[in-house]
Amino acid sequence: MGAQPRFLIVDDFSTMRRIVRNLLKEIGFADAEEAEDGAVALNMLRSGKFDFVVSDINMPNMNGFDLLKNIRADEKLKSIPVLMVTAEAKKDDIVAAAQGGASGYIVKPFTKATLEEKVQKILQKSQ
Amino acid sequence: MQPTETSVAPALHCDAIGSDHGTAPKPKTPRKARRRKAGPAADVTVHGDTCAGPAATQEPATSESIYQRIGHLTRTLHDALRELGYDRELMGTRQQLPDARDRLAYIARVTGEAAEKVLNAVDRARDVQQALTRQAADLHRRWKAVEAFTAGGCGRATPAGQALVEETCRFFADVEAQSDRANTILTDIMLAQDFHDLTGQVIRKVVALAQTMEEQLVKLLVDTAPEAAAAAPAAAPALEGPVVNPAGRDDVARDQADVDALLASLGF
Repeated sequence: MGAQPRFLIVDDFSTMRRIVRNLLKEIGFADAEEAEDGAVALNMLRSGKFDFVVSDINMPNMNGFDLLKNIRADEKLKSIPVLMVTAEAKKDDIVAAAQGGASGYIVKPFTKATLEEKVQKILQKSQ
Repeated sequence: MQPTETSVAPALHCDAIGSDHGTAPKPKTPRKARRRKAGPAADVTVHGDTCAGPAATQEPATSESIYQRIGHLTRTLHDALRELGYDRELMGTRQQLPDARDRLAYIARVTGEAAEKVLNAVDRARDVQQALTRQAADLHRRWKAVEAFTAGGCGRATPAGQALVEETCRFFADVEAQSDRANTILTDIMLAQDFHDLTGQVIRKVVALAQTMEEQLVKLLVDTAPEAAAAAPAAAPALEGPVVNPAGRDDVARDQADVDALLASLGF
């Protein structure tokens, strides 16, 4: 990972992608791109260089769980931290994300402080 | 890397689910059924003992007998629906479901557009804020030099002039703090737009549910009253409110230009 990690924000709602992107910029991570679902995200991850994924779960085409599964199953991608940011608050989902290899889990609605704390913690662990 | 952190706030989601705080809903009698109790429909005969299970008949429940029972129940339901007039109500319901879906989609779209507008405004406000902060910082630096000069004594400034310089420097120093506060407020406004994502997900689920209900109702209607489905009376026109889906319609104005053109054609 370089000096500034490159983020991929995955969410089917453009509003939420924009919010997360702006928050990351405020936190100090201006290098970010967006994908509207897991399938698009996976293609972007395989064709580009990303250091951190912030993903929703409930999305069309490929949901966040399947994206996570694909990332963890891919030799080149499996070390990329994946932070789930989702409205899914069921414990089963949180457990499933943890078991699937998620690096963190934030339930919407969330605050800037929460996002900053999780991102920083995950980055510290992955260094 | 093992995840250890969660930010789950289940309580936040209780309201969205619509908890009834533990009170069990009272069983409701269909209004139509109550109304018709003393009327002709009260004479509707329900064929067969729908409560009797295999034990009551003392016969082993084979697949064939179960299918026969289901068929019998379906026939009974069919007759009852028609005799009670529920087939027409179901037809009405089925016709209203696409409209309900369109209205929900409209809500999702309009709230999404509103959220985008707010985010655009926040971005613009932030740009203005940053420009002001930069200008203030630049002026502050220059005024600090003036302040240092006037503080040197030897009549370099009148007392009033020196007070003005000091006050100006304090103002520029304060601008930075004020700017930080304004940025925090802008962030709060931006974050509040996440309602679009949250409500949008709920709306999406309700739309899917309406779709399933509509499909099931169509099947039920085709099975029970195909002729009614084909020749259903049109619903009475009502005030429609905002046009949620103008595509393919020529009976609605799509925008203000359409309204103005229509009014102009009427001589207004």
